[in-house]
Amino acid sequence: MKTVIKTTRLQKVYNGSVAPVTAVNDVNLEFYEGEFTAIVGPSGSGKTTFLNLIGGLDKPTAGHVHIEGVDISTMKESKLFDFRLRNIGFIFQSYNLIPVLTAKENVSFIMLLQKRPRAQMERRAVEMLEQVGLEDKLNSRPNQLSGGQQQRVAVARALASKPKFVLADEPTANLDTKSAFNLLDIMLRLNKEENITLIFSTHDQRVIDRARRVITLVDGAVSEDKAVSAEKNV
Amino acid sequence: MKTLIIISWRNIWRNRTRSIIIILALVLGIMGGIFSAAMRLTAEQQQMEDALKNQISHIQIHHPGFVANPEASYSIPRGSELAEELEQMDNIWAVSARTVFDGMAASANMNAGVRIKGVNPDSEAHTTSLDELLEEGTYFTGEGRLPGVIIGRELANDLNCHTGSRMVLTFQDKNNNMVHASFRVEGIYTMTSKDFERRTIFAHREVINSHIDHPDAVTEIAILLNDMEQYRQAAREFQEVWPDLKVRHWAQLAPSRYHNLEILDQVLIWILVIILLAISFGLLNTILMSILERVNELGLLMALGMKRSKVFSMVMLETAMIAIIGGILGLLSSYAMIQILNTSGVRLPGAEGMEEFGYASVLYPDIPVSFYFETAVVVIIFAILAAIYPAWKAIKIPPAQAVRQE
Repeated sequence: MKTVIKTTRLQKVYNGSVAPVTAVNDVNLEFYEGEFTAIVGPSGSGKTTFLNLIGGLDKPTAGHVHIEGVDISTMKESKLFDFRLRNIGFIFQSYNLIPVLTAKENVSFIMLLQKRPRAQMERRAVEMLEQVGLEDKLNSRPNQLSGGQQQRVAVARALASKPKFVLADEPTANLDTKSAFNLLDIMLRLNKEENITLIFSTHDQRVIDRARRVITLVDGAVSEDKAVSAEKNV
Repeated sequence: MKTLIIISWRNIWRNRTRSIIIILALVLGIMGGIFSAAMRLTAEQQQMEDALKNQISHIQIHHPGFVANPEASYSIPRGSELAEELEQMDNIWAVSARTVFDGMAASANMNAGVRIKGVNPDSEAHTTSLDELLEEGTYFTGEGRLPGVIIGRELANDLNCHTGSRMVLTFQDKNNNMVHASFRVEGIYTMTSKDFERRTIFAHREVINSHIDHPDAVTEIAILLNDMEQYRQAAREFQEVWPDLKVRHWAQLAPSRYHNLEILDQVLIWILVIILLAISFGLLNTILMSILERVNELGLLMALGMKRSKVFSMVMLETAMIAIIGGILGLLSSYAMIQILNTSGVRLPGAEGMEEFGYASVLYPDIPVSFYFETAVVVIIFAILAAIYPAWKAIKIPPAQAVRQE
């Protein structure tokens, strides 16, 4: 299988008020194309920091992150912005849509920054919103959508530009059970149909049960990396 | 760019009240700026027009001794010929050769110290428009048993006389002998400066010269230039040509007035700057608040791949939009305000007191169209400068930290 992300001795240390805090400690992992991986662990175990590091939102204190062979940990910021834009999709815990844009505009936003042709962009945005079941909400602003609907728009946005992988930071944390299952179904389906690598941090058992690979972090270090049979999840 | 404009435009209307308040502040700021500038310009113009056209002209030439002692004995040698020579020059609009000295004016029961100006009626009318300033009476018609004088309204009130009243002027002739001469008040003039009205009497120069026993006397030559801006250069040139005479331009003749204008200019510029600074700080505060409220969102934009330079541009664009809306509304409101005030006039507080110093009591503010645009451009520049700090703060938001904030 093709390696999409590889981390080598990845470490992140924050300057805490009392003493330095090691959020990610010597993590060596590989993620493969088309994977549906859950990063699990208790609060403060370093899940989000790890996602930020492999997503290029944060710089490691030590170690490297390679995306398809490109080391992003030493990349200049301006290049990193561009790299992120073209290769990585993000889904955040608190929906994080642009409040002044409609659902369709939100989904188009990344493609717009990528300077895709307008017609292609519009077609893809509508297609993605159809995929997440929001074809009747194309022109709704985020404040006119429920939490579950907003998160579905965020999923559509993350996947619309066909990134190499999508990072989702506790995507179901603020959703009720029905919305969470619905979102997971959509993510799993898109993962299969679009063959997009999905990595999400969670401590939601509903999500963990559906993942094909579960990596457990404790105190910033990998304590378990377990592959789960695909049949169980689908 | 189009998306950036759409996002910026929608962002400024997310908090309507706040945006409207800041737009109103801009409108009022521009109105205040234009109003104060219009008042200054108009006051300056009205005062200058009065002072230069009706009183002191652009340049005056005297005998050097006359400056310290304004007496008839300090006559300009061959003054009439010099005046004629000046009249032929291309850059000169009008010349008035006068016999000027101080004296005493007396009516039946009052008297007052005055400056008597013996003038040629035609050239004086051309130079100072004295004939147009008459409130009542006639302008040196030569009719009547006694020679006519034109006096100011204030002096007429002080001496309790009116057109047709007899007036005795007392002054020294060229040999310093006291002369008493009877005149008839032929006309009463008014002008902005009440002090000038109270102190200045005009009579026919031939009559005055005959009384001082000096038919060719010319103690003062007043010059009105075609182009007022040339006054310094022209005065310098005349002085070089006639080194034995004292040539002074209006700023030297009325230094306090000139300096008042300079000070007024400075004060108003500072008032404008303070108004604009106040608006800028208001704007800075508003934008900063909107940035701090949107830390999460701005971080998200950067997390998604929007470059810091674009986020900076977006914040600047938001401010520019507010400034442009405020600028256009401010311009239109200011234009309407100036048009209304130009018709109705603005009565200045303490007007009577100001008239003593040559300031008009009622101003009809007006301003060149270019000034509207200059003010708007300055306001927009101030607004954009005010946005730099919040925009800089916006791009310093760490994306990873921002997207984690609830």
